[in-house]
Amino acid sequence: MITHETELKLQAFLDGEITAREAAVLKELLGHDPEARSLFEEMKSTRMLLVGNELDVKLSETREFYWSKIRRQIEVEDRRLSAPVARELMTSWWVRFLVPTALLTALVVLVVVSIRTREGSSPQWAWEEGHEIETPLEETSSFSFRSEAAAMTVVWVDSHHE
Amino acid sequence: MNKVCVGASLSQNKPGMKKLIPFWQFALTTAAFFVYSDTVRCASADLELQAQLVWGTNNDKPDDPKLKDVDPKVREKLRGVFKWKNYFEVNRQSFTVTAAGPKKVKMSDLCQIEVQSLGNSSVELKLFGQGKMVVRKTQKIKAGELLVLAGDDKNDTAWFVVLSQVEK
Repeated sequence: MITHETELKLQAFLDGEITAREAAVLKELLGHDPEARSLFEEMKSTRMLLVGNELDVKLSETREFYWSKIRRQIEVEDRRLSAPVARELMTSWWVRFLVPTALLTALVVLVVVSIRTREGSSPQWAWEEGHEIETPLEETSSFSFRSEAAAMTVVWVDSHHE
Repeated sequence: MNKVCVGASLSQNKPGMKKLIPFWQFALTTAAFFVYSDTVRCASADLELQAQLVWGTNNDKPDDPKLKDVDPKVREKLRGVFKWKNYFEVNRQSFTVTAAGPKKVKMSDLCQIEVQSLGNSSVELKLFGQGKMVVRKTQKIKAGELLVLAGDDKNDTAWFVVLSQVEK
């Protein structure tokens, strides 16, 4: 009666996974023990049967791409499983309120900045009818009038020192 | 496209993260629009202008080679408003004003103007006489329009600084 350990050693011998010294011992065993020889022959025929009939799977893509697809699928599954938590956070009422509010505020600031002065007091933007007139000297005055017919605006400067 | 985005952004009362994404797109689109329009406005703030120093009189043209006849269009416009019959060009300067800063233009030994583009075809025009600012005027100046600063001169004559866009 052969032991389980001997069975394992015979299997290892068949797979070529033992040392030369162990192989010599097992060869001697197989020479005089018919039970061991019978088991070994059975193992050998089973192995040959498996090797000869193993399914040959051919991939239509490269090995790296095939496994990367599997990896991506696993990642997607992981994200899908963790998404409900994020969705729950985002659907909180205060998030739905604050995000648009913050964006609108940023937008308003951007608009205000864009129409404000770029260099000091030099305005980029003027009202359609924002006409101004100024005569800083005391001895002068002015008045403005417009002729629509002539498409002309006139500022008449009057000096009082004459 | 904006209409679609606005429609999507208004439907935020429905729960779900997907509702926020169109709002982001809307906000970014709007922001991009304003940045773009600001750039365009800065570019459009550049104005090609022409300033003429004109002398108006009821007398005939004096024997001064520096004096030239004023462009007929300008002359007729001035005649339509003022009492003087004859208008002579003393000096003419063409220049470009940008958003970068004001432009100083010397019209005569005693007279100088400073023009600044305010964008949207508006300008600030300052008139300096003997180094002192006499008058400042802010005005929208469209193509074909005149902005005229004027005043009495000796012997019942008048001076005019005529600012207009250069005709292309």
